Amino acid sequence: MTAGTLAERGAAFLPTALKEAGIAAGIALLLALPLVGARTVSEGSAFVVTPRIVELALGVAFVFAGRLAIASLRGGHHLPVIVGALAVAALGWRFALPSAFLGVVAIAGGLAVACIGAIGLLRARRDEIPAVARIDTAGLLRQALGWLGPALIALAIVLPFLPFADRRLMDIAILVLTYVMLGWGLNIVVGLAGLLDLGYVAFYAVGAYSYALIAREFGLDFWSCLPLAGVFAAFFGIILGFPVLRLRGDYLAIVTLGFGEMIRIILLNWYNFTGGPDGISGVPRPTFFGLPFKRAPPEGVESFHQFLGIDYASIHRTYFLYFLVLALALITNAFTLRIRRLPIGRAWEALREDEIACRSLGINPTNTKLTAFAIGAMFGGFAGSFFATRQGFISPESFTFIESAIILAIVVLGGMGSQIGVVLAALVLIGLPEFFRELHEYRMLAFGACMVLITVWRPRGLLASRDPMIRLSRRRARP
Amino acid sequence: MSLLTVEHLTMRFGGLVAVDDVGFAAEEGRITALIGPNGAGKTTVFNCLTGFYKPDTGRLALRADGREHLLERLDDFRVASEAKVARTFQNIRIFPQMSVLENLMVAQHNRLMRASGYTLLGLVGAGRFRVAERAAVDRATYWLDRVGLTDRADVDAGTLPYGGQRRLEIARAMCTEPVLLCLDEPAAGLNPRESAELNALLTFIKAVHRIGILLIEHDMSVVMGISDHIVVLDHGAKISEGPPDFVRNDPAVIRAYLGEEEAEDG
Ligand SMILES: Nc1ncnc2c1ncn2[C@@H]1O[C@H](COP(=O)(O)OP(=O)(O)OP(=O)(O)O)[C@@H](O)[C@H]1O
Ligand SMILES: [Mg+2]
Repeated sequence: MTAGTLAERGAAFLPTALKEAGIAAGIALLLALPLVGARTVSEGSAFVVTPRIVELALGVAFVFAGRLAIASLRGGHHLPVIVGALAVAALGWRFALPSAFLGVVAIAGGLAVACIGAIGLLRARRDEIPAVARIDTAGLLRQALGWLGPALIALAIVLPFLPFADRRLMDIAILVLTYVMLGWGLNIVVGLAGLLDLGYVAFYAVGAYSYALIAREFGLDFWSCLPLAGVFAAFFGIILGFPVLRLRGDYLAIVTLGFGEMIRIILLNWYNFTGGPDGISGVPRPTFFGLPFKRAPPEGVESFHQFLGIDYASIHRTYFLYFLVLALALITNAFTLRIRRLPIGRAWEALREDEIACRSLGINPTNTKLTAFAIGAMFGGFAGSFFATRQGFISPESFTFIESAIILAIVVLGGMGSQIGVVLAALVLIGLPEFFRELHEYRMLAFGACMVLITVWRPRGLLASRDPMIRLSRRRARP
Repeated sequence: MSLLTVEHLTMRFGGLVAVDDVGFAAEEGRITALIGPNGAGKTTVFNCLTGFYKPDTGRLALRADGREHLLERLDDFRVASEAKVARTFQNIRIFPQMSVLENLMVAQHNRLMRASGYTLLGLVGAGRFRVAERAAVDRATYWLDRVGLTDRADVDAGTLPYGGQRRLEIARAMCTEPVLLCLDEPAAGLNPRESAELNALLTFIKAVHRIGILLIEHDMSVVMGISDHIVVLDHGAKISEGPPDFVRNDPAVIRAYLGEEEAEDG
């Protein structure tokens, strides 16, 4: 690239970039004027409108700067953009902006733009770097993924023994693992079989209520109820699936959405049986294979700490719950990995790819989808009964549509069908917001931003690459 | 008795009669071609045979495993699993994001499902299932060798070139071990060399596997070169039938094809 062409390009580029940025800022101003610019505060009995000039100006300025940065990057001016973006991030960090949100936008936005600029700069310079020094990112990623799975499992196993594993961290870990398990369960339905299920939370609810009700009515303990809850959820999966699995795509999504709401409304209104909005309290807590986690167990029952001869600590139960959900999640994962190698798992994936072709090969689509639906529901049921035993209290409020949406988001963002993608997505979508409670208000906003970014950059999900489950070459290579 | 006997097949779409009282037969170990100008109703005949459309009238009898199956009464997937009719599609339908080998394994689904005890035996890794799976891979390998895709076995099927995808679709159909193979324009989009290879492949299947082949094709070099019997459709009706030499010189056929050309020119 010669200096002459650069200068020419610069000359042509600046006015258009400024124009673009100006238009974007104008639109932002129009939108923000009523939303941001005026704020109603109640003073005594009256509402007063106070203007928020600074916020408005800063917001519009950010839009202008962001648009200018995008245009400049497209024009090949990486360095100025990187410097400018870092400066904005530093300003956001150093000075208290009028609202926390603007601070977040300045820091996160600045850093993000700087990163994009740096990547663009590397790309542009790639031709000047000798081929040996170039990094094979795809290959590295593939290798890293091979390590990531075992590493994450190892980390998950030792996590409770690490010094910083306090109560709060363990609670977040349990929550994340519950969603990982739900994600893996839904992954069977959505990721493998390609059936868009917007009502997965219904099976979660069926599992939770099955456990709570069976335990209450028949006095069974967690370990006998767990399989029953799974069976009930699978049964509901079949009942729902049988009539609706003939529907395609969008129709299926709408019907499952309705089913999810139906279950919740039944739970809400069948007062005598489910306790309606009051829910069910006193759900039996889990026992360590019969040993309860109680400081003072009832007469004739030995509790966990007495059995081990250690002092009572309430965190023992947390640790136990953690390992319980870890085990349940790993079982879900192992099951999925195994079943993908079996004919039924292959048929699920084939159905997702082309149902007509499957029919022409003699595969019964209804039965095949039904098994996917039932098995996915079963794992949802397991997760539900874990939820019930962990909370000790359940009510329909825990099973709203937003839960289905979050679980689906985990699957879709992670990369349909990717097991490790689900873990990463659950960490990002569930773990991060729990850690940064201060930003809780912006959680849904961040959620939406993630969705938009992923759909733009990786429309098939974070980790969408899929390796064949059976190979010829390895067989051949073997003597 | 013939392998396949079609009698009085009629299929209407609203007011349009796509197939009009057509009858023909296909024999074991022979290639029966179905030809005709665009929109003649050839694909519709296939869709009726394979259960994708339910014909308005007609009797479609297929002899397999010493039994007679009435195809018009079977669901599409039963036509494949019970009557053992396999087909390919005019617009290729492979599983693009599954590997070539996996495509061929899916074709052996029903056999493998039985061997895996409907998944239960497979989950525990029973020996019986492993034996069946190895046999399935061997069968897949056999057909990969026949269609020349062995070294592409582990790549995504969607990355194959067009001709490779067509051959994969045929290999996949053969992996279901059919008694009747229905091919909808297998030579469409192939270059002359690939087209010649296809001729050789179909002749091989006919000679060695002794199954019946029903072939829709526009490429006359393929049709005239390898067919044993040709059925000609035009506007849904059968206008001629017989060995290639007869059909080639039949005035009715020439008129149907020429008439179409004139219409295109005008
Ligand atoms: N599902 C359908 N609904 C309505 N009309 C249809 C349908 N399928 C086919 N047709 C009509 O039936 C007629 C025959 O179509 P068909 O696809 O069988 O022709 P074809 O002989 O396979 O032609 P081509 O050589 O172009 O593939 C056409 O007029 C077509 O428009
Ligand atoms: Mg056609």
